[in-house]
Amino acid sequence: MLPIAVDAMGGDRAPGAIVAGAHRAAEDGIAVALVGPADLAGRDGLELIEASEVVEMHDDPVQSIRRKKDSTLVRAAEAVRDGRASAMLSAGNTGATMTAALLRMGRISGVNRPAIATPIPVPGSTPTVLLDAGANSEVQAEWLVQFAQMGSVYARHRFGIDTPRVGLLSIGEEPGKGDALRKEAFELLGRAGSVDFVGNVEGRDVMSDNVDVVVTDGFTGNVVLKTLEGGMKTVIKAILEAFAADPSNKPHADALLPALMPLYETMDPETYGGAILLGVDGVCVIAHGSSSERAIVNGIRVAADMVAHGMVDELRRAVAT
Amino acid sequence: MTADVQPGPLERAEIFDIVRDRLADILEIDPAAISEGQSFVDDLDADSLALIELVEALEEELSDRTTGFRIDDEDLADLKTVRDAVDYVHERAAEGA
Repeated sequence: MLPIAVDAMGGDRAPGAIVAGAHRAAEDGIAVALVGPADLAGRDGLELIEASEVVEMHDDPVQSIRRKKDSTLVRAAEAVRDGRASAMLSAGNTGATMTAALLRMGRISGVNRPAIATPIPVPGSTPTVLLDAGANSEVQAEWLVQFAQMGSVYARHRFGIDTPRVGLLSIGEEPGKGDALRKEAFELLGRAGSVDFVGNVEGRDVMSDNVDVVVTDGFTGNVVLKTLEGGMKTVIKAILEAFAADPSNKPHADALLPALMPLYETMDPETYGGAILLGVDGVCVIAHGSSSERAIVNGIRVAADMVAHGMVDELRRAVAT
Repeated sequence: MTADVQPGPLERAEIFDIVRDRLADILEIDPAAISEGQSFVDDLDADSLALIELVEALEEELSDRTTGFRIDDEDLADLKTVRDAVDYVHERAAEGA
């Protein structure tokens, strides 16, 4: 397999955590190429794809990709396009990563708009794939059908779900619930034979075992994602504070930890390595801006897995149906 | 599909062929369905992202023919029709040839 092109300069903890994660992935036998400046510290034996510019977190996504032609993001996407890398990963500016992938790799033929698919942890079950988690703030009903097709392919390859159940995020389970977009999408999804559409789902279903893929517009999806992330962090912090509130709680907390740690692992977004951009002609993993070494190595594993599974060709077939 | 680009000054008709073919690739429509008088938004349903894809494709294709060929982001809002784009590219290509 060609190397995974890893943007060494993207993310709050770049380049240290990114380079460390790349080394760990290489130790696991995954070929990795770091994309960064010629004097990138700590790369040791890892391949380097040189890039002299960096797209900052606050940069305008489209303008930065148009102007910074020698940026790590542009060079990473070009490496995939030109057959020097099998996939790309960045923890940098999400909009710019999407733009670089779209403009350099191109769209899969037939795809209206790429969408960001994010695994949402579900205790005791496989994660729910939420898309679009932020690529397209406004969508058309037909695009939601494609999101359902692409999300189903991802759920199948990433989590081994043979026939993923697809839900349309709305404000009630009944078919008539929601705005005009949701009502039209409901009709189209119901007629689309290529996905197992189970009807409308509500926000409370996203972290449940009732559905495997949840489709929505990127604005709503991003609000859902950030709400869940914030909610989970708040709950975890509150539990830890409750444990620490009184010294007499410590033995009880210590007794509970072995049961809570696997749950924490399941709920930690870093376990899943980040989101993936579905619909571009290549594998592009978008890691969280605050990604640690652990998140990066997991993201590189996801990228390598999706390449090995031939996910892009599966997406091509899915949207052609 | 790719227009056959030869070294040398660009004729306006050549530029139209390049713009039409790149646009057809991006919008996934028949090139024959594209004419100069069409509006990107009203007639071709091309949104802002499609126009950025077009601009990037044109810059990449034409940079070999015209040194430093570039479409300024500030000028994009003025390109309403296919004819606007062809005229703009023709003018900029002539400046850089």
